[in-house]
Amino acid sequence: MRPRRAAGAGLLALCWAAPLAAQALALPVRAGSVRFAVIGDTGTGDQLQYAVAQQLALYRQKFPFTFTIMLGDNIYGSERPQDFDTKFTKPYKPLLDAKVEFDATLGNHDDPNQRFYKPFNMGGNRYRTFKKGNVRFFVIDSNYLDPDQVKWLEKELASAGSDWKIPYFHHPLYTTAARGPEVELRAVLEPLFVKYGVDVVFSGHEHVYERLKPQKGIYYFTAGGAAKLRSGDTRKGPLTDQTFDTDRSFMLVEISGNDLYFQAISRTGKTVDKGVLHRLAHNPPAKPPVVAKPPR
Amino acid sequence: MLVSERGSRRGRLLGWTLLAGLALGCGTRERVDPTAAPIADFLKRVDEYVALRNRLAATIGPVDETKSQAEITLRAATLASNIKLERAQAKPGDLFTTEVATVFATLIHQEEQRRPDSVRETREDQQEELPDFVPQVNEIYPTTYPLATFPAKLLPLLPKLPEQVEYRIVQHYLILRDVEANLIVDFMPHAVPTEKAP
Repeated sequence: MRPRRAAGAGLLALCWAAPLAAQALALPVRAGSVRFAVIGDTGTGDQLQYAVAQQLALYRQKFPFTFTIMLGDNIYGSERPQDFDTKFTKPYKPLLDAKVEFDATLGNHDDPNQRFYKPFNMGGNRYRTFKKGNVRFFVIDSNYLDPDQVKWLEKELASAGSDWKIPYFHHPLYTTAARGPEVELRAVLEPLFVKYGVDVVFSGHEHVYERLKPQKGIYYFTAGGAAKLRSGDTRKGPLTDQTFDTDRSFMLVEISGNDLYFQAISRTGKTVDKGVLHRLAHNPPAKPPVVAKPPR
Repeated sequence: MLVSERGSRRGRLLGWTLLAGLALGCGTRERVDPTAAPIADFLKRVDEYVALRNRLAATIGPVDETKSQAEITLRAATLASNIKLERAQAKPGDLFTTEVATVFATLIHQEEQRRPDSVRETREDQQEELPDFVPQVNEIYPTTYPLATFPAKLLPLLPKLPEQVEYRIVQHYLILRDVEANLIVDFMPHAVPTEKAP
Protein backbone atom coordinates (compact mmCIF):
# COMPACT_ATOMS: atom_id res chain seq x y z
CA MET A 1 0.00 0.00 0.00
CA ARG A 2 2.68 2.39 1.03
CA PRO A 3 4.88 1.95 -2.07
CA ARG A 4 1.86 2.41 -4.32
CA ARG A 5 0.94 5.62 -2.50
CA ALA A 6 4.50 6.80 -2.80
CA ALA A 7 4.53 6.03 -6.49
CA GLY A 8 1.25 7.89 -6.85
CA ALA A 9 2.67 10.87 -4.99
CA GLY A 10 5.75 10.77 -7.17
CA LEU A 11 3.65 10.82 -10.32
CA LEU A 12 1.62 13.73 -9.00
CA ALA A 13 4.81 15.61 -8.18
CA LEU A 14 6.05 14.97 -11.70
CA CYS A 15 2.82 16.28 -13.21
CA TRP A 16 3.06 19.44 -11.18
CA ALA A 17 6.78 19.72 -11.71
CA ALA A 18 6.68 19.42 -15.48
CA PRO A 19 5.18 22.82 -16.23
CA LEU A 20 6.82 24.51 -13.26
CA ALA A 21 10.31 23.22 -13.85
CA ALA A 22 10.83 24.13 -17.41
CA GLN A 23 10.72 27.86 -17.95
CA ALA A 24 14.20 28.46 -19.26
CA LEU A 25 13.84 31.85 -20.80
CA ALA A 26 15.99 32.56 -23.85
CA LEU A 27 14.92 36.15 -24.36
CA PRO A 28 16.83 39.20 -23.11
CA VAL A 29 13.85 41.12 -21.61
CA ARG A 30 15.36 44.46 -22.52
CA ALA A 31 13.96 47.71 -21.22
CA GLY A 32 11.51 49.28 -23.65
CA SER A 33 11.27 46.24 -25.89
CA VAL A 34 8.04 45.06 -27.55
CA ARG A 35 7.09 41.71 -26.06
CA PHE A 36 4.35 39.41 -27.22
CA ALA A 37 3.23 35.80 -27.44
CA VAL A 38 2.12 33.97 -30.58
CA ILE A 39 -0.56 31.28 -30.49
CA GLY A 40 -2.37 29.67 -33.40
CA ASP A 41 -5.26 27.28 -33.91
CA THR A 42 -6.16 27.37 -30.26
CA GLY A 43 -9.90 27.02 -29.88
CA THR A 44 -10.43 23.34 -29.13
CA GLY A 45 -11.35 23.69 -25.46
CA ASP A 46 -9.54 20.44 -24.72
CA GLN A 47 -6.94 19.67 -22.07
CA LEU A 48 -4.07 20.23 -24.45
CA GLN A 49 -5.14 23.80 -25.13
CA TYR A 50 -5.33 24.35 -21.37
CA ALA A 51 -1.88 22.83 -20.89
CA VAL A 52 -0.35 25.21 -23.44
CA ALA A 53 -2.23 28.12 -21.87
CA GLN A 54 -0.87 27.17 -18.47
CA GLN A 55 2.66 27.08 -19.84
CA LEU A 56 2.12 30.47 -21.44
CA ALA A 57 1.02 31.94 -18.11
CA LEU A 58 4.03 30.44 -16.36
CA TYR A 59 6.43 31.88 -18.90
CA ARG A 60 4.83 35.27 -18.50
CA GLN A 61 6.12 35.38 -14.96
CA LYS A 62 9.64 35.61 -16.41
CA PHE A 63 8.77 37.30 -19.67
CA PRO A 64 6.09 39.90 -19.02
CA PHE A 65 4.57 40.17 -22.46
CA THR A 66 1.72 42.62 -22.82
CA PHE A 67 -0.18 41.15 -25.75
CA THR A 68 -0.77 37.91 -27.61
CA ILE A 69 -1.39 37.56 -31.32
CA MET A 70 -3.83 34.82 -32.30
CA LEU A 71 -3.30 33.30 -35.74
CA GLY A 72 -6.87 32.15 -36.36
CA ASP A 73 -9.09 29.17 -35.67
CA ASN A 74 -9.76 30.88 -32.40
CA ILE A 75 -12.93 28.85 -31.80
CA TYR A 76 -13.35 25.43 -33.36
CA GLY A 77 -16.76 23.88 -33.85
CA SER A 78 -19.82 25.51 -32.37
CA GLU A 79 -19.60 29.17 -31.39
CA ARG A 80 -22.17 29.37 -28.64
CA PRO A 81 -21.50 31.74 -25.74
CA GLN A 82 -20.37 28.82 -23.58
CA ASP A 83 -17.86 27.84 -26.28
CA PHE A 84 -16.15 31.20 -25.89
CA ASP A 85 -15.82 30.38 -22.19
CA THR A 86 -14.40 26.91 -22.57
CA LYS A 87 -12.26 27.66 -25.63
CA PHE A 88 -10.98 31.13 -24.75
CA THR A 89 -11.77 32.87 -21.48
CA LYS A 90 -11.17 29.89 -19.19
CA PRO A 91 -7.88 28.65 -20.61
CA TYR A 92 -6.42 32.16 -20.83
CA LYS A 93 -7.97 33.48 -17.61
CA PRO A 94 -4.63 34.14 -15.89
CA LEU A 95 -3.54 36.25 -18.87
CA LEU A 96 -6.88 38.02 -19.21
CA ASP A 97 -6.84 38.77 -15.49
CA ALA A 98 -3.36 40.23 -15.94
CA LYS A 99 -4.76 42.53 -18.67
CA VAL A 100 -2.82 40.84 -21.44
CA GLU A 101 -4.37 41.98 -24.73
CA PHE A 102 -5.39 39.37 -27.31
CA ASP A 103 -5.27 40.41 -30.97
CA ALA A 104 -7.00 37.85 -33.14
CA THR A 105 -7.15 37.20 -36.84
CA LEU A 106 -9.81 35.04 -38.48
CA GLY A 107 -9.16 31.43 -39.45
CA ASN A 108 -11.20 29.20 -41.71
CA HIS A 109 -13.00 27.77 -38.68
CA ASP A 110 -13.98 31.19 -37.35
CA ASP A 111 -17.29 32.95 -37.85
CA PRO A 112 -16.45 36.47 -39.07
CA ASN A 113 -18.78 37.76 -36.34
CA GLN A 114 -15.85 37.13 -33.98
CA ARG A 115 -14.73 40.59 -35.05
CA PHE A 116 -17.37 41.99 -32.71
CA TYR A 117 -16.09 39.98 -29.73
CA LYS A 118 -14.28 42.65 -27.76
CA PRO A 119 -11.67 40.40 -26.10
CA PHE A 120 -10.32 39.64 -29.60
CA ASN A 121 -9.66 43.35 -30.19
CA MET A 122 -10.60 43.36 -33.86
CA GLY A 123 -12.57 46.57 -33.55
CA GLY A 124 -15.41 45.14 -35.64
CA ASN A 125 -13.06 44.77 -38.64
CA ARG A 126 -12.10 41.68 -40.58
CA TYR A 127 -8.67 43.21 -41.15
CA ARG A 128 -6.85 45.96 -39.39
CA THR A 129 -3.49 47.34 -38.35
CA PHE A 130 -2.10 48.31 -34.97
CA LYS A 131 1.16 49.58 -33.62
CA LYS A 132 3.20 48.61 -30.57
CA GLY A 133 6.41 50.56 -30.03
CA ASN A 134 8.39 50.48 -33.26
CA VAL A 135 6.40 47.56 -34.67
CA ARG A 136 3.46 47.81 -37.05
CA PHE A 137 1.21 44.74 -37.20
CA PHE A 138 -1.08 44.02 -40.15
CA VAL A 139 -3.93 41.66 -39.30
CA ILE A 140 -5.09 40.15 -42.58
CA ASP A 141 -8.20 38.09 -43.29
CA SER A 142 -6.69 35.40 -45.49
CA ASN A 143 -10.06 33.69 -45.86
CA TYR A 144 -11.41 36.42 -48.08
CA LEU A 145 -8.73 38.52 -49.68
CA ASP A 146 -10.92 40.81 -51.74
CA PRO A 147 -9.60 43.71 -53.83
CA ASP A 148 -10.61 46.25 -51.15
CA GLN A 149 -8.50 44.46 -48.58
CA VAL A 150 -5.53 44.30 -50.94
CA LYS A 151 -5.79 48.06 -51.60
CA TRP A 152 -6.10 48.76 -47.90
CA LEU A 153 -3.06 46.60 -47.16
CA GLU A 154 -0.95 48.33 -49.78
CA LYS A 155 -1.85 51.74 -48.43
CA GLU A 156 -1.09 50.72 -44.84
CA LEU A 157 2.19 49.04 -45.74
CA ALA A 158 3.25 52.06 -47.73
CA SER A 159 2.58 54.42 -44.85
CA ALA A 160 4.23 52.30 -42.15
CA GLY A 161 7.52 54.18 -42.49
CA SER A 162 10.53 52.71 -40.73
CA ASP A 163 8.61 50.55 -38.30
CA TRP A 164 9.03 46.81 -38.23
CA LYS A 165 6.34 45.47 -40.53
CA ILE A 166 4.75 42.26 -39.32
CA PRO A 167 1.67 40.89 -41.08
CA TYR A 168 -0.08 37.93 -39.58
CA PHE A 169 -2.91 35.83 -40.90
CA HIS A 170 -4.17 32.29 -40.85
CA HIS A 171 -2.96 30.58 -44.02
CA PRO A 172 0.80 30.19 -44.52
CA LEU A 173 2.40 31.42 -47.73
CA TYR A 174 5.27 29.01 -47.16
CA THR A 175 5.20 25.75 -45.26
CA THR A 176 6.51 22.23 -45.52
CA ALA A 177 3.47 20.76 -43.77
CA ALA A 178 1.42 18.25 -45.71
CA ARG A 179 -1.49 20.50 -46.68
CA GLY A 180 0.98 22.81 -48.31
CA PRO A 181 1.37 26.54 -48.75
CA GLU A 182 -1.33 28.90 -49.97
CA VAL A 183 0.33 29.67 -53.27
CA GLU A 184 -2.57 31.72 -54.55
CA LEU A 185 -2.48 34.03 -51.54
CA ARG A 186 1.26 34.19 -51.95
CA ALA A 187 0.89 35.40 -55.52
CA VAL A 188 -1.14 38.35 -54.28
CA LEU A 189 0.53 39.14 -50.95
CA GLU A 190 4.21 38.43 -51.50
CA PRO A 191 4.79 41.16 -54.11
CA LEU A 192 3.36 43.69 -51.64
CA PHE A 193 5.42 42.31 -48.78
CA VAL A 194 8.59 42.55 -50.86
CA LYS A 195 7.76 45.97 -52.29
CA TYR A 196 7.08 47.56 -48.93
CA GLY A 197 9.76 45.84 -46.89
CA VAL A 198 7.87 43.41 -44.67
CA ASP A 199 10.22 41.89 -42.12
CA VAL A 200 8.48 38.91 -40.56
CA VAL A 201 5.24 37.00 -41.21
CA PHE A 202 3.37 34.76 -38.75
CA SER A 203 0.75 32.23 -39.84
CA GLY A 204 -1.14 29.30 -38.38
CA HIS A 205 -3.43 26.76 -40.06
CA GLU A 206 -0.77 24.06 -40.05
CA HIS A 207 -0.70 22.50 -36.60
CA VAL A 208 3.05 22.55 -36.21
CA TYR A 209 5.88 24.96 -35.53
CA GLU A 210 8.13 25.99 -38.40
CA ARG A 211 10.80 28.59 -38.93
CA LEU A 212 11.56 28.91 -42.60
CA LYS A 213 14.60 30.25 -44.34
CA PRO A 214 14.04 33.86 -45.42
CA GLN A 215 12.07 34.00 -48.66
CA LYS A 216 12.82 37.08 -50.78
CA GLY A 217 14.21 38.73 -47.67
CA ILE A 218 11.26 37.92 -45.40
CA TYR A 219 11.21 35.63 -42.37
CA TYR A 220 8.24 33.25 -42.11
CA PHE A 221 7.01 31.42 -39.02
CA THR A 222 4.21 28.87 -38.82
CA ALA A 223 2.80 28.60 -35.32
CA GLY A 224 -0.49 26.75 -35.54
CA GLY A 225 0.11 24.16 -32.86
CA ALA A 226 -1.11 25.80 -29.66
CA ALA A 227 -3.89 23.23 -29.21
CA LYS A 228 -4.00 20.90 -32.20
CA LEU A 229 -1.15 18.85 -33.59
CA ARG A 230 -0.40 17.19 -36.90
CA SER A 231 2.28 14.91 -35.65
CA GLY A 232 5.19 14.34 -38.00
CA ASP A 233 3.68 16.64 -40.58
CA THR A 234 6.69 18.80 -41.49
CA ARG A 235 9.39 17.95 -44.00
CA LYS A 236 13.00 18.90 -43.55
CA GLY A 237 14.28 20.46 -46.71
CA PRO A 238 15.79 23.51 -48.33
CA LEU A 239 12.91 25.66 -47.09
CA THR A 240 13.22 24.89 -43.40
CA ASP A 241 15.50 26.22 -40.72
CA GLN A 242 13.71 24.54 -37.82
CA THR A 243 10.55 22.54 -37.27
CA PHE A 244 8.75 21.01 -34.31
CA ASP A 245 5.83 18.67 -34.86
CA THR A 246 5.83 16.22 -31.99
CA ASP A 247 3.85 18.25 -29.47
CA ARG A 248 1.85 21.47 -29.09
CA SER A 249 3.76 24.71 -29.05
CA PHE A 250 3.64 28.49 -28.87
CA MET A 251 6.07 31.35 -29.33
CA LEU A 252 7.40 34.27 -27.34
CA VAL A 253 8.83 37.22 -29.24
CA GLU A 254 10.76 40.29 -28.18
CA ILE A 255 11.67 43.15 -30.48
CA SER A 256 14.33 45.58 -29.43
CA GLY A 257 15.67 48.06 -31.96
CA ASN A 258 16.56 46.14 -35.10
CA ASP A 259 16.61 42.75 -33.40
CA LEU A 260 13.81 40.25 -33.03
CA TYR A 261 14.37 37.57 -30.40
CA PHE A 262 12.17 34.52 -30.50
CA GLN A 263 11.64 31.39 -28.51
CA ALA A 264 9.38 28.51 -29.47
CA ILE A 265 8.21 26.45 -26.53
CA SER A 266 6.47 23.11 -26.29
CA ARG A 267 3.43 22.25 -24.20
CA THR A 268 5.74 20.82 -21.55
CA GLY A 269 7.87 23.95 -21.40
CA LYS A 270 10.77 22.70 -23.45
CA THR A 271 12.45 25.23 -25.72
CA VAL A 272 12.24 23.83 -29.25
CA ASP A 273 13.73 26.78 -31.09
CA LYS A 274 15.26 30.12 -30.22
CA GLY A 275 17.32 32.81 -31.83
CA VAL A 276 17.57 36.37 -32.95
CA LEU A 277 16.72 37.85 -36.34
CA HIS A 278 18.17 41.09 -37.55
CA ARG A 279 16.19 43.31 -39.85
CA LEU A 280 17.16 42.76 -43.43
CA ALA A 281 17.80 45.71 -45.70
CA HIS A 282 14.85 46.57 -47.87
CA ASN A 283 14.21 49.00 -50.66
CA PRO A 284 12.47 52.21 -49.62
CA PRO A 285 8.70 51.96 -49.84
CA ALA A 286 7.01 53.30 -52.92
CA LYS A 287 4.45 56.08 -53.01
CA PRO A 288 1.22 55.05 -51.25
CA PRO A 289 -1.83 54.45 -53.40
CA VAL A 290 -5.30 55.80 -52.70
CA VAL A 291 -7.33 53.39 -50.69
CA ALA A 292 -10.59 52.29 -49.13
CA LYS A 293 -11.24 52.03 -45.41
CA PRO A 294 -11.60 48.56 -43.92
CA PRO A 295 -15.16 47.24 -43.85
CA ARG A 296 -16.90 46.38 -40.63
CA MET B 1 -9.65 69.52 -119.06
CA LEU B 2 -10.52 71.83 -116.32
CA VAL B 3 -13.99 70.32 -116.06
CA SER B 4 -12.52 66.86 -116.04
CA GLU B 5 -10.00 67.75 -113.29
CA ARG B 6 -12.77 69.36 -111.25
CA GLY B 7 -14.92 66.26 -111.74
CA SER B 8 -12.08 64.06 -110.71
CA ARG B 9 -11.45 66.17 -107.61
CA ARG B 10 -15.13 65.97 -106.75
CA GLY B 11 -15.02 62.22 -107.19
CA ARG B 12 -11.99 61.90 -104.89
CA LEU B 13 -13.64 64.15 -102.32
CA LEU B 14 -16.79 62.06 -102.43
CA GLY B 15 -14.72 58.90 -102.09
CA TRP B 16 -12.84 60.22 -99.03
CA THR B 17 -16.05 61.45 -97.47
CA LEU B 18 -17.63 58.05 -97.93
CA LEU B 19 -14.58 56.30 -96.47
CA ALA B 20 -14.42 58.69 -93.55
CA GLY B 21 -18.11 58.21 -92.94
CA LEU B 22 -17.70 54.45 -92.95
CA ALA B 23 -14.73 54.62 -90.63
CA LEU B 24 -16.60 56.92 -88.31
CA GLY B 25 -19.58 54.63 -88.40
CA CYS B 26 -17.45 51.62 -87.53
CA GLY B 27 -15.72 53.52 -84.72
CA THR B 28 -18.90 54.65 -83.05
CA ARG B 29 -20.64 51.27 -83.27
CA GLU B 30 -20.56 50.01 -79.66
CA ARG B 31 -19.43 46.49 -78.88
CA VAL B 32 -22.08 45.04 -76.66
CA ASP B 33 -20.72 43.09 -73.70
CA PRO B 34 -23.10 40.16 -73.36
CA THR B 35 -22.22 39.79 -69.67
CA ALA B 36 -23.06 43.39 -68.75
CA ALA B 37 -26.83 43.04 -68.56
CA PRO B 38 -26.93 39.82 -66.49
CA ILE B 39 -24.30 41.21 -64.09
CA ALA B 40 -26.15 44.50 -63.74
CA ASP B 41 -29.33 42.59 -63.05
CA PHE B 42 -27.54 40.42 -60.46
CA LEU B 43 -26.13 43.47 -58.69
CA LYS B 44 -29.55 45.09 -58.69
CA ARG B 45 -30.97 41.99 -57.01
CA VAL B 46 -28.09 42.00 -54.50
CA ASP B 47 -28.78 45.66 -53.73
CA GLU B 48 -32.43 44.89 -53.17
CA TYR B 49 -31.50 42.08 -50.79
CA VAL B 50 -29.05 44.31 -48.92
CA ALA B 51 -31.65 47.07 -48.61
CA LEU B 52 -34.05 44.53 -47.11
CA ARG B 53 -31.57 43.07 -44.64
CA ASN B 54 -30.34 46.54 -43.67
CA ARG B 55 -33.87 47.58 -42.87
CA LEU B 56 -34.28 44.48 -40.70
CA ALA B 57 -30.87 44.99 -39.08
CA ALA B 58 -31.82 48.56 -38.19
CA THR B 59 -34.77 47.29 -36.15
CA ILE B 60 -32.39 45.22 -34.03
CA GLY B 61 -30.01 48.09 -33.41
CA PRO B 62 -26.41 48.79 -34.31
CA VAL B 63 -23.79 46.10 -33.95
CA ASP B 64 -21.03 47.09 -31.59
CA GLU B 65 -18.06 45.36 -30.12
CA THR B 66 -19.09 43.58 -26.98
CA LYS B 67 -17.65 41.29 -24.35
CA SER B 68 -20.85 39.29 -24.52
CA GLN B 69 -20.79 36.55 -27.09
CA ALA B 70 -24.40 35.88 -26.12
CA GLU B 71 -25.28 39.33 -27.42
CA ILE B 72 -23.46 38.69 -30.74
CA THR B 73 -25.10 35.29 -31.15
CA LEU B 74 -28.54 36.62 -30.32
CA ARG B 75 -28.18 39.51 -32.76
CA ALA B 76 -27.06 37.22 -35.60
CA ALA B 77 -29.84 34.73 -34.88
CA THR B 78 -32.50 37.45 -34.70
CA LEU B 79 -31.33 39.01 -37.92
CA ALA B 80 -31.28 35.63 -39.66
CA SER B 81 -34.71 34.79 -38.35
CA ASN B 82 -36.17 38.12 -39.52
CA ILE B 83 -34.61 37.74 -42.96
CA LYS B 84 -36.00 34.23 -43.28
CA LEU B 85 -39.48 35.49 -42.42
CA GLU B 86 -39.28 38.30 -44.95
CA ARG B 87 -37.86 36.01 -47.62
CA ALA B 88 -39.96 32.99 -46.86
CA GLN B 89 -40.68 32.50 -50.55
CA ALA B 90 -37.05 32.85 -51.62
CA LYS B 91 -35.76 30.07 -53.83
CA PRO B 92 -32.53 29.11 -55.56
CA GLY B 93 -31.85 31.31 -58.54
CA ASP B 94 -33.57 34.41 -57.19
CA LEU B 95 -30.24 36.24 -57.30
CA PHE B 96 -28.12 33.81 -59.29
CA THR B 97 -30.51 33.87 -62.23
CA THR B 98 -29.97 31.44 -65.08
CA GLU B 99 -28.45 34.24 -67.16
CA VAL B 100 -25.93 35.38 -64.57
CA ALA B 101 -25.19 31.81 -63.50
CA THR B 102 -23.98 31.15 -67.03
CA VAL B 103 -21.72 34.19 -66.83
CA PHE B 104 -20.34 33.16 -63.41
CA ALA B 105 -19.76 29.57 -64.48
CA THR B 106 -17.88 30.75 -67.56
CA LEU B 107 -15.73 33.15 -65.54
CA ILE B 108 -14.92 30.51 -62.96
CA HIS B 109 -14.16 27.83 -65.55
CA GLN B 110 -11.93 30.20 -67.52
CA GLU B 111 -10.04 31.08 -64.36
CA GLU B 112 -9.78 27.38 -63.53
CA GLN B 113 -8.11 26.74 -66.88
CA ARG B 114 -5.51 29.45 -66.21
CA ARG B 115 -4.53 28.35 -62.72
CA PRO B 116 -1.34 26.37 -62.26
CA ASP B 117 -1.38 22.83 -60.88
CA SER B 118 -0.07 23.96 -57.50
CA VAL B 119 -3.03 26.33 -57.05
CA ARG B 120 -5.46 23.68 -58.21
CA GLU B 121 -4.08 21.22 -55.67
CA THR B 122 -4.37 23.74 -52.82
CA ARG B 123 -7.98 24.45 -53.69
CA GLU B 124 -8.84 20.79 -53.91
CA ASP B 125 -7.17 20.16 -50.55
CA GLN B 126 -9.25 22.89 -48.98
CA GLN B 127 -12.44 21.49 -50.39
CA GLU B 128 -11.57 18.09 -48.91
CA GLU B 129 -11.79 19.66 -45.46
CA LEU B 130 -15.39 20.61 -46.07
CA PRO B 131 -18.24 18.23 -45.41
CA ASP B 132 -20.58 16.93 -48.06
CA PHE B 133 -23.00 19.76 -47.97
CA VAL B 134 -26.10 20.62 -49.93
CA PRO B 135 -26.89 24.28 -49.33
CA GLN B 136 -30.42 25.55 -48.97
CA VAL B 137 -31.64 29.10 -49.39
CA ASN B 138 -32.42 30.66 -46.00
CA GLU B 139 -30.30 28.04 -44.24
CA ILE B 140 -27.76 29.04 -41.60
CA TYR B 141 -24.27 28.10 -42.74
CA PRO B 142 -23.36 25.73 -39.90
CA THR B 143 -20.71 27.31 -37.71
CA THR B 144 -19.30 23.87 -37.06
CA TYR B 145 -18.19 23.74 -40.71
CA PRO B 146 -15.04 25.54 -41.77
CA LEU B 147 -15.27 28.19 -44.45
CA ALA B 148 -13.02 27.51 -47.40
CA THR B 149 -10.65 30.29 -48.33
CA PHE B 150 -12.06 32.06 -51.32
CA PRO B 151 -9.58 31.87 -54.23
CA ALA B 152 -7.75 35.18 -54.11
CA LYS B 153 -7.23 35.29 -57.87
CA LEU B 154 -10.87 34.57 -58.63
CA LEU B 155 -12.40 37.14 -56.32
CA PRO B 156 -11.41 40.20 -58.39
CA LEU B 157 -13.01 38.64 -61.48
CA LEU B 158 -16.47 38.44 -59.92
CA PRO B 159 -18.78 41.43 -59.47
CA LYS B 160 -17.91 43.36 -56.34
CA LEU B 161 -20.40 42.84 -53.53
CA PRO B 162 -21.55 45.14 -50.75
CA GLU B 163 -19.80 44.30 -47.46
CA GLN B 164 -22.96 42.71 -46.01
CA VAL B 165 -22.69 39.71 -48.34
CA GLU B 166 -19.86 37.57 -49.64
CA TYR B 167 -19.15 34.74 -52.03
CA ARG B 168 -18.19 31.31 -50.74
CA ILE B 169 -17.32 28.13 -52.53
CA VAL B 170 -18.33 24.81 -51.03
CA GLN B 171 -17.66 21.80 -53.21
CA HIS B 172 -19.18 22.72 -56.59
CA TYR B 173 -21.51 25.38 -55.20
CA LEU B 174 -21.01 29.12 -55.34
CA ILE B 175 -22.81 30.50 -52.32
CA LEU B 176 -23.95 34.02 -51.61
CA ARG B 177 -23.81 34.41 -47.85
CA ASP B 178 -25.02 37.13 -45.52
CA VAL B 179 -21.93 37.70 -43.42
CA GLU B 180 -23.49 38.86 -40.20
CA ALA B 181 -26.60 36.67 -40.25
CA ASN B 182 -24.49 33.73 -41.46
CA LEU B 183 -27.34 32.94 -43.81
CA ILE B 184 -27.28 31.41 -47.28
CA VAL B 185 -28.98 34.01 -49.46
CA ASP B 186 -28.68 32.08 -52.70
CA PHE B 187 -26.45 29.50 -54.33
CA MET B 188 -25.67 28.11 -57.74
CA PRO B 189 -24.70 24.48 -58.29
CA HIS B 190 -22.02 23.38 -60.74
CA ALA B 191 -20.29 26.72 -60.53
CA VAL B 192 -16.98 25.10 -59.78
CA PRO B 193 -15.72 22.01 -61.54
CA THR B 194 -14.93 19.34 -58.96
CA GLU B 195 -14.64 15.61 -58.98
CA LYS B 196 -17.57 15.40 -56.56
CA ALA B 197 -19.98 17.33 -58.74
CA PRO B 198 -22.72 15.00 -59.99
